Amino acid sequence: MEKRVPRILMGKPGLCGHDRGIMLVIMALRDAGMEVIYSGRHNSPEQLVDVAVQEDVDVLGVSILSGAHMALCRRIAERLKEQDADDIVLLAGGFIPPDDIPGLKALGVREVFTEGARLDDVVAFVRRAAEERLPA
Amino acid sequence: MLREDLKVAEAAWRARHADELAAATAKPALCEDGIPLKVVYTPLDADEASPGDAAFPGEFPYTRGNDASGYRKKLWTISHYAGFGSPRETNVLFRKMIDHGGVPPYMALDLPTQLGLDPDDPMAAGEVGLTGTSIASLRDWETIFDGISLESTFVGTVINAPAAVILAMHIVLAQKQGADLAKVRGNLQNDILKEFTARGNFIFPVAPSLRLVTDSVEYCSRHLPSFWPLNVTGGHFAEAGADRVHEVAFAFADAFTYIERLLARGVSIDAFAKNMFFLMKTNHFDLFEEAAKFRAMRRIWATRLRERYNARDPESLKCKVLGHSGGSQMTRERPELNIARTTLACLAGALGGIQLIGLRTMDEVFGIPTEKSEMIAIGTQHVVAHETGVPDVVDPLGGSYYVESLTREFESRVLSEIDRLEREGGMVRAVENGSIRRTIAQDAYEAQRAVERGEKIKVGVNKYRIDEAEPPRRPYQLDPAEEGRRVEDVRAVRRERDSAATAAAIEELKRVARLPEGSDSNLMVPIIEAVRAYATMGEICKALKDVFGEYVERGRV
Repeated sequence: MEKRVPRILMGKPGLCGHDRGIMLVIMALRDAGMEVIYSGRHNSPEQLVDVAVQEDVDVLGVSILSGAHMALCRRIAERLKEQDADDIVLLAGGFIPPDDIPGLKALGVREVFTEGARLDDVVAFVRRAAEERLPA
Repeated sequence: MLREDLKVAEAAWRARHADELAAATAKPALCEDGIPLKVVYTPLDADEASPGDAAFPGEFPYTRGNDASGYRKKLWTISHYAGFGSPRETNVLFRKMIDHGGVPPYMALDLPTQLGLDPDDPMAAGEVGLTGTSIASLRDWETIFDGISLESTFVGTVINAPAAVILAMHIVLAQKQGADLAKVRGNLQNDILKEFTARGNFIFPVAPSLRLVTDSVEYCSRHLPSFWPLNVTGGHFAEAGADRVHEVAFAFADAFTYIERLLARGVSIDAFAKNMFFLMKTNHFDLFEEAAKFRAMRRIWATRLRERYNARDPESLKCKVLGHSGGSQMTRERPELNIARTTLACLAGALGGIQLIGLRTMDEVFGIPTEKSEMIAIGTQHVVAHETGVPDVVDPLGGSYYVESLTREFESRVLSEIDRLEREGGMVRAVENGSIRRTIAQDAYEAQRAVERGEKIKVGVNKYRIDEAEPPRRPYQLDPAEEGRRVEDVRAVRRERDSAATAAAIEELKRVARLPEGSDSNLMVPIIEAVRAYATMGEICKALKDVFGEYVERGRV
């Protein structure tokens, strides 16, 4: 069976409008041959999870620079569980103080990439995460 | 020496140093936007045909500065972007800033406010007071400026989509304080076009958004002649990743779009152009190009305003710039080096002769800055202003073969980009078809890849790393109970006001919003009355959404 291309939903939950980081990641993932859907800005966490489930994505990447990452990621993690979809790998990026990273991981965020992260590292992480979920 | 003799001399010099020059130029030196740099510039690089080079400051085309004596006439204004979550805390901060050397407040607002949502809106959950002050009604504006005179304090506010509502709060409070509106100074960002393309805080579709900008600027041109109601913000393009040429070209294309709407409305150019200004980045990288950028901006603006829009008032022809150092240039690695970066950014702005400078704090990469780091950022400007002697001579780089050449090259690239946008149907079309966003994203991607490949050095990031044992802590923590207090505050306003008067004011706003746009249906009038009746930000924006709808962003990138 031919291997399926990883499918990624990149989303902006909440009110934050800054999209430099998420656009960089989208472009890097596409250059790496992945299929990437972008939500646009101003989505509720619940909307994002519902789209992720409908589109059967392997990874949900969210970008938040407003400081509201704890509240938003908590709602995303809860909705993923409710939808029985917490096998979708959740990835967060943006403007996130180092002290908050352990708390995000405890919520179920698999990895956090902040300012200064290398695109190659993000791509490598997403590829590994998607492959874990995909049938070999 | 004659030009021909110079050419001979230069060729001979080049031959004598051929090996060294060949080695040095094997890898080209480029500004980030692609402008190539020579090893040395000589009189041969001077453009004898360009009158701008030889002109004097304080005179058309103002390349060398808006004022004949530059900073000897008036030092640049130290601007400082700040604002805490609650109106009460913000009042304390502003009083302190005003006492501390008269630094005027430049207010940061939270995202619910910037998107026209009250603190108890479901979409505001978790976001209240995070990125700045939360403002839900006139009562909050009254709290923030308790004990602060609006007639004698310049108040800057970073507000865009609902800028007309904040302007209305300012007008009503000024009236309540008994201020003379003709003397009230301050500014609004009010640059909605760049929200669609760079910053993302949009509410209404493009056409009614432009109507709100036109209405508020027209209203100020008639009633608040000292107020600056439109701050065109190229800096947000730069922060979103645009290179310097795009930063300036897109800012001008936005500015010209607003100007053309106001002229179509029948407002005279000299009634409003003098109160427009630009918020740009002043960054430390490619430092001489940054200074050249401000010189080129003045020439482009003055020429266009005089020749295309027939501006006659010299104040309209002067391109006024507030330069802020870019948060995206700051690094989490070795964060103290951010002070060095902002010092140089301040220098770039001062060499470029701009009117206001604001610096990011060293710890802003971790969160809302502490008071200590705010005071370091302000003190950094005091050092550049008072210890270096830089302000003593106007346009200190003027006449440099290098900087003059860079100024011309930069200007020509910006003009051709503006021409291209106009040929392709103008800025509104480029906003709606997504081409501006794609250009910015492409610039950002190339810059990021250059850092990752090690072609562009970022100290502490891809070179000279020091692994620090103790990562810096989060600087400022918003009290988690604040959101609940803000929800209670706005509910108290709704309980205590004359609700019939508020409802009538909202109905009147909707009635006017349904009329075709024009001077007789200027939305400022009903918005001011709604604010006076303590209608909330969320209620006013909801009324406008009911009439105008909301902007839907294209998902395709």
